Amino acid sequence: MANDMDRSSLSGLTEAEAKEFHALFIKSFIAFTVIAIIAHILVWNWRPWIPGPKGYALLDGVHTAVHGLLPLVS
Amino acid sequence: MYRVWLLFDPRRTLVALFTFLFVLALLIHFILLSTDRFNWLEGPHPAKTGQIEQTMPSSFA
Repeated sequence: MANDMDRSSLSGLTEAEAKEFHALFIKSFIAFTVIAIIAHILVWNWRPWIPGPKGYALLDGVHTAVHGLLPLVS
Repeated sequence: MYRVWLLFDPRRTLVALFTFLFVLALLIHFILLSTDRFNWLEGPHPAKTGQIEQTMPSSFA
C-alpha cells in the first residue's frame, strides 16, 4: 500500500504504526492488569469484601473467608 | 484488533483512558475511605454514643 493511501486513515496512522502502537498498548494493558490482580489479592487477604450469609464477622481470617465463599460458589 | 488505532487517535485515546482510570481510582479510594471496614487510615470508628446511651439506662433499671 502506498504511503498516501496509508495516511488516509481517520487517525492518520499507517498500518505499521498502528501495529507498533497496538503491541505496546497490549503489553501495558497486561502489566496494568497483573498489578491490579496482585493488589486485589492482597486486599482480599487483608479484608474480603463479599460478606458471608451472616455478615463480615465470620470472615475475619483467611480460612473462614474461604469457607464463607464456598456456599456462594457451590 | 490493531485497526482500532486507524480509527482512534492513540494520543487522545491515551489521555482519555488515563483520565478515566485516574478519576475511577480516586472515586474508589474515597468510597473505601468512607466505609468503616475498608478505611485503612483510621480503621473502624467506635460504636456510636447513641447506642451506649440506649443500653445504659436499661442495664441500671
